[in-house]
Amino acid sequence: MPGHRTKGFCASAAALALCALLAGCGGPGESAGGGKAVLRYTWWGNPDRAERTEQAVALFEKRHPDIRVQTSFAGYDAYKQKLATQAAGGDAPDVMQLDYRQIDQYASGDVLLDLARQKDVLHTSQIDTGLLATGRVDGTQYAVPQGRGTETVVYDVTTWKASGVPLPRAGWTWDDWADAVRTLAKTTGKPGATDPGQSEDAFEVWLRGQGKALYTKDGRLGFTADDLTRWWTFTDELRRQGAVSPAEQTTQLDGSVENTPLGRGKAVSDTNWDAPASGFLALVPDGIALAPMPSGEDGTPGQYFKPSMFLGVSANTGHPKEAAQLVDFLVNDREAAKILGATRGIPVNETIRQELGPQLKDFDRTISDYQASLEGTLKDPPQAPPSGDNALQTTFQRDYDQVSYERMSPREAAENYLTEAKAELRS
Amino acid sequence: MTTTDVPAPARPHRSATTPKRRPKREREGAAWVFLSPWVLGATVLTLLPMAVSLYLSFTDYNLFDPPHWVGLRNYTQMFTEDPRYWRSVVTTLTYVVIAVPLQLALALVVALALKSMKHGKGFYRSAFYAPSLLGASMSIALVWRAIFNDGGTVDNLLGTGGWVNKPGWALLAVALLTVWQFGAPMVIFLAGLQQIPAELYEAAAVDGAGTWRQFVSVTVPMLSPVLFFNLVLQSIQAFQVFTPAFAVSAGKGGPADSTLVYTLYLYDRGFVASHMGYASAMAWVLLLVIGVVTAVLFRTSRSWVFYASEGDR
Repeated sequence: MPGHRTKGFCASAAALALCALLAGCGGPGESAGGGKAVLRYTWWGNPDRAERTEQAVALFEKRHPDIRVQTSFAGYDAYKQKLATQAAGGDAPDVMQLDYRQIDQYASGDVLLDLARQKDVLHTSQIDTGLLATGRVDGTQYAVPQGRGTETVVYDVTTWKASGVPLPRAGWTWDDWADAVRTLAKTTGKPGATDPGQSEDAFEVWLRGQGKALYTKDGRLGFTADDLTRWWTFTDELRRQGAVSPAEQTTQLDGSVENTPLGRGKAVSDTNWDAPASGFLALVPDGIALAPMPSGEDGTPGQYFKPSMFLGVSANTGHPKEAAQLVDFLVNDREAAKILGATRGIPVNETIRQELGPQLKDFDRTISDYQASLEGTLKDPPQAPPSGDNALQTTFQRDYDQVSYERMSPREAAENYLTEAKAELRS
Repeated sequence: MTTTDVPAPARPHRSATTPKRRPKREREGAAWVFLSPWVLGATVLTLLPMAVSLYLSFTDYNLFDPPHWVGLRNYTQMFTEDPRYWRSVVTTLTYVVIAVPLQLALALVVALALKSMKHGKGFYRSAFYAPSLLGASMSIALVWRAIFNDGGTVDNLLGTGGWVNKPGWALLAVALLTVWQFGAPMVIFLAGLQQIPAELYEAAAVDGAGTWRQFVSVTVPMLSPVLFFNLVLQSIQAFQVFTPAFAVSAGKGGPADSTLVYTLYLYDRGFVASHMGYASAMAWVLLLVIGVVTAVLFRTSRSWVFYASEGDR
């Protein structure tokens, strides 16, 4: 019989269950490989990028038999969270891929190594000075851009053509775009595009088309609640008309092309970055094409060439030289560039870009041609976003969820976002 | 039971009060040697992180810059300035109220069915327990998401559309994932049922009690300590639900914050928005609240839990 023990047993079991709640997780230390320098290299991306990166890394290991590279990758959201935790524990990977949004925070948090100290092995002379400067914080080169990307309207060519709607052309405006997706929805029976209301990136393009910016030079918000209300009213109306994806589809976006409405066969187009758009090839059997993002009503282009990814080296690495060699190899080596193609955007090394450009194949070719068509027409990129932006990207999507599920008006959600954004940027 | 090691640390103190004086030191020393793995683990893995988390809860800490003291600001912000915090509280309570009774009811029904089985009891017991072993894993939660997504199994069978992308339905999909893992309470119920002396049923039957009457007047009171144990344990676990909500909502607590349970919001504040101080403060509030809820459950138990041995008095 359990008898009176049951009560004490209950109490202790409850106490134990409670204690488990507060126990956090610690980060274990680093182990060294026998004789070889072991580098950890992490990035985010899709399986296509992973396969090509593995090939390039294998080549690097062949050239440097004394270095072993441990790689790992994840989707962007998961990668971002894991990297932040590792960095806080002083356990950042030796070589890490970074986003424009992360540079400021990681540099000022002493996570990154000053790369100028490794200039003997890491060469940057072939990189456009303006582009190279995007990896600099307070005058120190903390990261090297790895590729150049820009946003694009990626669409299902066959369906679009069959619908009879004129194909997107350079210089089209947001109004043209709205007309196109409305007609597409009518003729094809599925939404013309992903609802761009959830995307901070798309909002930025729209904002820049009106001569404004997401952030001011001193890292504060560069737009007002009125601006955001107008943007969300614009997209919300299109959603209500069925011209862009419904909330049930939009909410599933997680940064991977597989979960976009276009990738799931539920919309005709998507707004995305050009390099990851390669992932649509496997999902849209009829083929896809890239078109420029819509510009402002007066023709001002909103999109820009953004350093699509950076490589940084951990300040705590035990092998700074070897890590810098790997970065140099990934950015400047001709063979590596051939393997990597445009999987991280068009190469930043000028010589390689000119040499490889005409040799690029398949979708790399498409991206290259797309970027070439925009060359000289776009405005300068904004400076690196302030640290708080990292969290705001998610906040933006979440607040728009409230609009698309009709729980808040665009005005309410915009006010909400501004309050949160101001708090985030202050801290 | 894994919990048997819990009262252990109390033993050295108890032995200190025994009259035999000589070997006390030696015995105490030996006790500590044997306890050392547990003490070490508890200190390094539980007590230290708890202390750090308590300290962090009074700071502003973004993982990159050193924590800086803000006093009670995290707590005041939580209670007075953060509507999402309160929404996460409501979501969690809703979840607890749906998931715990459903899970316990299902566990009890299956345990009753198993008890009366003549053959294959072992097989079915394992089969019903299996989801509890599998269900805690991320992969099952992802499968769950696929099942309840639009174009998934549930959509195809019922034509309801996806559940995980509808604010009114998503939390139910999360709760069902928990309910499905009723194995642990079921096994405990089964053990409890088998402890009930058969003569009580015989006596009741002689008195003319039917199946329902036997259940209400014999099974329920005799089982009440076990029921209470399961209720406390499952409630504590339900308040801390994380994995199903995380996986089913793809880490975001969506759609429109409908599955943003307390720990998921805590995770969001800590690891997505990098406000570790705020997240720590949330963890401490949760600890206190669960403590209070447990205390209340214990208090009410006096009126409905029947301990056979006490009943003898």
